[in-house]
Amino acid sequence: MSELFAAALFVFVLVTAVTTALLRDVLAVVVVFAAYSLGMALFYAFLLAPDVAMTEAAIGAGVTTLLLLLTLTKTNRTRPDRWIEGVDLPALAVFAALLIVLVVTLLNSIPAVGDPGAAWNNPGVTQYYIENAYDDTGVENAVTAVLAGYRGFDTFGEAVVVFAAGISSLIVLRQVVFTRE
Amino acid sequence: MIGALADSYTYVLFAILMVVGLYMVAASANLVKKVVGLNMFQTGIFLFFVTTAYVDNGSSPVIPAEAAAGDRYASPLPQVIVLTAIVVGVALTAVSLALIVRIYDEYGTLNEATLREVRTDE
Repeated sequence: MSELFAAALFVFVLVTAVTTALLRDVLAVVVVFAAYSLGMALFYAFLLAPDVAMTEAAIGAGVTTLLLLLTLTKTNRTRPDRWIEGVDLPALAVFAALLIVLVVTLLNSIPAVGDPGAAWNNPGVTQYYIENAYDDTGVENAVTAVLAGYRGFDTFGEAVVVFAAGISSLIVLRQVVFTRE
Repeated sequence: MIGALADSYTYVLFAILMVVGLYMVAASANLVKKVVGLNMFQTGIFLFFVTTAYVDNGSSPVIPAEAAAGDRYASPLPQVIVLTAIVVGVALTAVSLALIVRIYDEYGTLNEATLREVRTDE
């Protein structure tokens, strides 16, 4: 059952990704990309990461799509003459070669998905958080405990990045004008 | 070969998404499509991180106070890194789209080739 679900998700994400790359009309690209983000959110949920899935659904499928659509309303969309984008053959050759190299390297060197003995499953670090998160912070969700507790300064830095991005967007769009007195 | 593919299907998907995203950044003439490609590249890498946290027969990292010692949980650390990266990614998208809107106001096109022509004419 879960294998079937994983296979369906794999195919859905793959098809939407390739469609996004091939469509010519930008509005169609944005809509298919939103479907792709939703598929990725389901994939994260399937891989035991519900927090990541919720964030991806809200921010990847929601906010990013909204920003892209806002950009499209502020720029003129020319009606495309055809549905499918022409394929850039030199670029396609380079990236197909890159894909083959990547897949061969990955298949030869990486442990199987979900292998509890994988090298990066560093038991010293991971087990520490799993065993002590509740006692240290009083939060049952270990992701929240790490995000807001152990790595609180990191999250603060993230908030600073978002603030800086908001300010610079406003300046670029000339919604805020600095005048010399 | 098929067995190896089935064992590491998310890594294969990660490689495909990364390459398709890069192809969109490099080959699309439209600037908005380049930004979409960049986002796809990012989600591919997020998939890699989330996969490294995943364990078979485990559960998501919500650990009740009276947890048994032998229970298996997905690692919370890579998931936290991905949460941070998603938010930083949307900040990046916002700034690049703002720049794109400004470019359109200034030059009246979002096509890379047309943009280059217009700029050399100046």
